[in-house]
Amino acid sequence: MISNIITMVRKELIDAARDKRSVMAGLYYAIGTPLLMCGMFMLLIGQMTSPEDLNIKIENGSNAPDLVKYLSSQGITHGDSQSTNENGDKLDVKDIRLVISDDYAAQMAKGLSAEITLIADNSNEKLQNSIRRLERNLQTYSSEMGSLRLIARGIDPRVVQPIKVNVEDEATPDSKGGVILGVATMTMIYAVFISGMNLAIDTSAGERERNSLALLLSHPVSTRNIVLAKVIAVTVFAMVGLLLTLIISKISYAFVPWQELGFTVSISTEFILLMLLTGLPIALMAASLQLFVSFMAKTFKEAQSYLTLVLIVPMMLSMAASYNIAPDILQWLPVSGQQQALIAFIKGREIPMLQLLLSSLTTFIIAIGLAFGMERSLKSEKIVFGL
Amino acid sequence: MTYHGQRTREHSLLSRFGHQGRALPTLLSALVITGFISSLPALASSSAQSDNKLGEQSSCYLEGLSEQLTCGFVTVPENADKPEGKQIQIHYAVLPAIKNSDHSEAFLAIAGGPGQSAMDNAAFFDRTFSKVRQQKDILLIDQRGTGRSNILNCESEGYQGSLAANEADFDTTKETQACLDNLASSDVTQYGSLNALKDFEAVREHLNYQKLHVYGISYGTRMAQLYMRHYPQVLSTVTIDGVVPMQQNVLAIGQAISRSFDLLLQGCSDNALCNKQFPQLKEELEAVDAKLALAPVITQVSDPLTGENTQLTMTRGKFMGAIRMALYAPNIRALIPHAIHQAANNNFQPIMGLYALNLDSTGIAMGMHASVVCGEDWQRLTADEREEVASTYFGQEMITTFEQSCDIWQMPAVDKSFSAAISSDIPTLVLSGEIDPATPPSWGELAMEKLTNAKHFIAPYASHGVAGQSCGNELIAQLVDSGSVAELDSECLNNDVSRNFYLNASTVEAIPLDESKHAIEQGDSHD
Repeated sequence: MISNIITMVRKELIDAARDKRSVMAGLYYAIGTPLLMCGMFMLLIGQMTSPEDLNIKIENGSNAPDLVKYLSSQGITHGDSQSTNENGDKLDVKDIRLVISDDYAAQMAKGLSAEITLIADNSNEKLQNSIRRLERNLQTYSSEMGSLRLIARGIDPRVVQPIKVNVEDEATPDSKGGVILGVATMTMIYAVFISGMNLAIDTSAGERERNSLALLLSHPVSTRNIVLAKVIAVTVFAMVGLLLTLIISKISYAFVPWQELGFTVSISTEFILLMLLTGLPIALMAASLQLFVSFMAKTFKEAQSYLTLVLIVPMMLSMAASYNIAPDILQWLPVSGQQQALIAFIKGREIPMLQLLLSSLTTFIIAIGLAFGMERSLKSEKIVFGL
Repeated sequence: MTYHGQRTREHSLLSRFGHQGRALPTLLSALVITGFISSLPALASSSAQSDNKLGEQSSCYLEGLSEQLTCGFVTVPENADKPEGKQIQIHYAVLPAIKNSDHSEAFLAIAGGPGQSAMDNAAFFDRTFSKVRQQKDILLIDQRGTGRSNILNCESEGYQGSLAANEADFDTTKETQACLDNLASSDVTQYGSLNALKDFEAVREHLNYQKLHVYGISYGTRMAQLYMRHYPQVLSTVTIDGVVPMQQNVLAIGQAISRSFDLLLQGCSDNALCNKQFPQLKEELEAVDAKLALAPVITQVSDPLTGENTQLTMTRGKFMGAIRMALYAPNIRALIPHAIHQAANNNFQPIMGLYALNLDSTGIAMGMHASVVCGEDWQRLTADEREEVASTYFGQEMITTFEQSCDIWQMPAVDKSFSAAISSDIPTLVLSGEIDPATPPSWGELAMEKLTNAKHFIAPYASHGVAGQSCGNELIAQLVDSGSVAELDSECLNNDVSRNFYLNASTVEAIPLDESKHAIEQGDSHD
């Protein structure tokens, strides 16, 4: 019986390999997603970090020459849209305005607060870091002057800092990158579902459309073996897709300038192994689910639409887990349970073994249940001939 | 005064050595002061390490840094000739590289003083060298006798006493003896730079770093140069910032201070606003100095911290010392003309404010300080040098103090070869601040004498410690990254990072005409 299954798995795989479209679909995702993610992160990091030379509009700068000089020593200078740098290129002037009040110097001289107004759109993500940087610099300048004003009056500046908060951050360098790797794990779990999907449709609904399913069933092999062979073939595809995703991620993540964010993200070999191990039951379940749904559908097209709908469920589970918005129950469920364990591993926390085992077991049971259902349904003419 | 123990301890030695003591010890220090507002009292509150087993590493937190770092220590004999004798722990902290691909190299930052703890200043080093840290671990070692490594410190009276005290009443001999008695369990003669250098090597080997990029600030430059002399094979690059060349006796700092005073007066008279507001600054400074030299001015003031009524005995030592210490930080320096002007009008409030800044936060282990200065500088002071040093106020004070304290400390003199110029072809960046009140640019030039692969940059707006006050830190990051001084360009050091001088107690901007009269009146009628 084993050799029987092996032969059929080989047949399914050869079939699948001939169908370039389904192979490519899997590969596109496995190779493309990590690269896309990296590109996205690089773009984000580039946009989020404030440029070294920040050009903003400073109005009434002549009222506060020392402040303007200070800001310029911090790389924040006045520029208007017409200005150019020494190479003749147009300056990138951020849409941030700093207006210095007319009575700035007078207020300052009296020991009062001199007013400046910062005008910018705080909802513009591209500006947020620059705005914060400007605010931070103004705050530094202000508190430095405040301290010196106190010193000039014979008072120790420490008296105006009654509380000093010492923060002891328990994050480790690994866990700081955990948020990002959490999202990355989600795309890896997707890989399991996506990579095998086309093959699953092809080998079920597709096979039926080509009228080879009935032929296959008429051979002297048990329906169970046929179902098992198909599940295994799709699983193999899913796992190859996952492995590819992991390898490409490991290589490409090294090129993202994570250090700009103050931490680093890297995919360790241990993580790859754990991911493959926990990914296996998910891949089995994904394969059975996809095959089951495809058999239920009447045509290839219909299978595609159904699958897209059905796949939303595991994807939602995975997303909820990775954005950490999940209620506790989710850590016991398939997909989200494994994913939370993976995230715990990334962050260097203890892996919740019980939850992982239970969710893997549930996943496995669902897979068996679906396979069993498929075996039964394949005995029905309605299914076999798509009536 | 109910300060936490450490603070009183830090302070103790200052009182012992009296005002000169404070002046001098801190001379080379400046680290704490450079950081100023952020690092006012940079005293240790790190937990974690002392109770673990020998050489074991643990995660720890250091003052001002929220992230977990790696701390540990190596145990070395206090006296290398008596390996079975007293053992001391040399503590270190590693700020791990952000992008940590390669841990075979580290960036070793050596603190000044002598007597400052590198680990207590971790936040300063982390901030200054954030670019270096993206690629390299930053290694901080508490040199023996400082910080957590068997600190040589002494107890003494608290902070309140200092305002009222007249430094002339300090008995340096007696105070030094008391300090030495307190340190009886340690052999203070073992706390010189050369022994400390061996500790650094022990830490390097313990942590398995193949190569080091060394950064020394102030007195730390002496350690960095000794590293170049004794262990050149483990160095990739060296940066010395605020340089004490081996040929130079630190006791000659008096001239550097005078130079810095002159530059300040010059700077004010060159600045239209300052010159207009304080046209007689030089005369005022001389007048106050002369007046206080005759007798201190005693007034009732509010204590800078407690606000309680207390007596302020404004001595020449407090006055000159406060100005001198203010010269270390460019942003505090901006207040000096106003403070002098007020003092000339008999208002010592601003001077007291400046003075109070250094009362209890210099963070210098005075016992270790004495071990270094008495062994390595005091005894090589020639008669000619001594005469020259004594020609300035600060030099004279220093000679008086060390004459008495070194007599008690009984450090053996270092070998003559100690003072030889460093000859090396290791890529070396030499940084000097033009307005430095401790280590003038000429000292940096002296250090260059036999360095064949070095560049000396003078930052026009920096005082002591160029890396923290300008783009010096970027140049260092570039040096560490490229391993060569060839590409370094000093252009960015010309970026004006100075503040304008304070024109009254509140502003650095030009005082509008109708306000200015009022403001001066207000200021002058202050006491």
